[in-house]
Amino acid sequence: MSFKAIPLRLLLPFGLLLAATQGAHAAPPAGRLLAAQCAQCHGTSGNGPGFDEVAGKSASELRKDLLEMKRRPVEGIMDRQARGYTDAQIKLIADYLAAHTSGSTN
Amino acid sequence: MHTFNRRRFLQAAGIASAAAALPRALGAATPARVVVVGGGFGGATVAKYLRLWGGGQVAVTLVEPNADHIACILSNLVLTGALSMDRISLGYNALKTNYGVAVIQARVTAINYGSGTGKGRVSLSNGRSLDYDHLVLSPGIDFIAPPDNPGAWDANVTPHAWQAGAQTLLLKKQLASMRDHDTFVMTVPKSPYRCPPGPYERACVVADYLKRKRLLFARVVVLDANAGIQAEPVAFGEAFNHIYKGMIEYIPDATVSSVISQTRSIITSAGSWSNVRVLNYIPNQRAAAIGPASSANRGWPLLNAQGFVPVDPLTYGVSGYPNIHVIGDACAVPATDGQAVPKSGHMANAEAKVCADAILRALNGQAPDTNIATSSACFSPITATTASWLSANFSYGNIYDAAGKVKGKGMQRVDLGEAPKISGDNYQDMFTWADGLFADSFI
Repeated sequence: MSFKAIPLRLLLPFGLLLAATQGAHAAPPAGRLLAAQCAQCHGTSGNGPGFDEVAGKSASELRKDLLEMKRRPVEGIMDRQARGYTDAQIKLIADYLAAHTSGSTN
Repeated sequence: MHTFNRRRFLQAAGIASAAAALPRALGAATPARVVVVGGGFGGATVAKYLRLWGGGQVAVTLVEPNADHIACILSNLVLTGALSMDRISLGYNALKTNYGVAVIQARVTAINYGSGTGKGRVSLSNGRSLDYDHLVLSPGIDFIAPPDNPGAWDANVTPHAWQAGAQTLLLKKQLASMRDHDTFVMTVPKSPYRCPPGPYERACVVADYLKRKRLLFARVVVLDANAGIQAEPVAFGEAFNHIYKGMIEYIPDATVSSVISQTRSIITSAGSWSNVRVLNYIPNQRAAAIGPASSANRGWPLLNAQGFVPVDPLTYGVSGYPNIHVIGDACAVPATDGQAVPKSGHMANAEAKVCADAILRALNGQAPDTNIATSSACFSPITATTASWLSANFSYGNIYDAAGKVKGKGMQRVDLGEAPKISGDNYQDMFTWADGLFADSFI
């Protein structure tokens, strides 16, 4: 179970995130920096290694999940992490992830 | 001067931030040169994300003296033999092959900060030098010797094991030598220090190790320089008062005055211990030196009273030094009094992304984003099969002094909490968390 044995699942989604790279003079897509805070635990492209995949879900599904975690009593660590963002920030994150990631089954 | 006039124009236009970035000529054909010093979680992440988001707009060079980064994360489990060193060894090959980061194994010998021009040069131990358009410094921490008889402290005799690697293996060997009725004495540094829950976690896993070896009369003494437990007070309070009752002795307000490594002795304001079996003295900390020991400020443009580098929370820039950025444990982020941004690998990763985004915006002549958040999340083993967790979130906005008055803008802590209970599920989640963070930073 060496860390180095983790498959390089980035190869496909790497291209997807690169697609989000902007040319000179253009501002980065809205929500990209906020959504990057999900990557520590859900993978650079939202599909691991890490906890539940956030890639490939719709914006409304992600938003609903995050708002539910933010408002329910704290059990898991995501119930706390979701409390760290305003509802408007959660919308930006959900919209970005839905538009710029896709499920690893693709 | 040309650059001065351009800066004045940008300030007049309201574009430049407090720690101003001087943009290169817009539409420059050659990539901007970014040099990153230090290949821990902060340095690796900023190098990766600059290339991930910036593509061909930036040429990124990472300078790091070691061939691999040995993570402090999970290193307390290497001490007890639960994990191998290989499990926490992180290489730089993926940064090179997946992202095209140039990695140079060398030490920095001198930095020219550019005298306000925003362009400078880093000199290396291999004789090379690197010109930069932006410089990101992420060197981690150094240790501060005890005030009295500092020469009597030798970390190669009494290891801190607060930088993982040879120190971890030395402490592991010493721990393995413990017999019944022996004492393991350790210290908790004065805050701020790297990984607030780390020392308490270490006390727990050491006590658990001794219990499992049936050394039931061995003792762990925790000498805390602070007034109380600095992180996860409920979980560690439960551990010290119940799980390891009679085995761990927790002593707050213990300020260390001297350490005599040869006799494994320590003198503190809360008492003295001599000839203990293991002395795990974890010293107070400050930003790692970035230049020769003889240089002013240990090579830093500026330092705060605690020895860390004050930064702009939007760019991690240093006031008065355009295009110089400091991230990770070495930096001091403006925050509300008593609600400091913790020094952790997870937080260094978070800061690296904010810094990378700000650098790319600056290269395009754009102001830094102000809708930013950073976070830290971590899992702490309490026994060989259970763990707790800690979660902290920060958002850009007003920050406050102790009296509740606004003192400026910074990263305001908007949420903080620990696991409602110590559990086996948390122990399993700890490895998922670590693998995610390792990969997002290094792969």
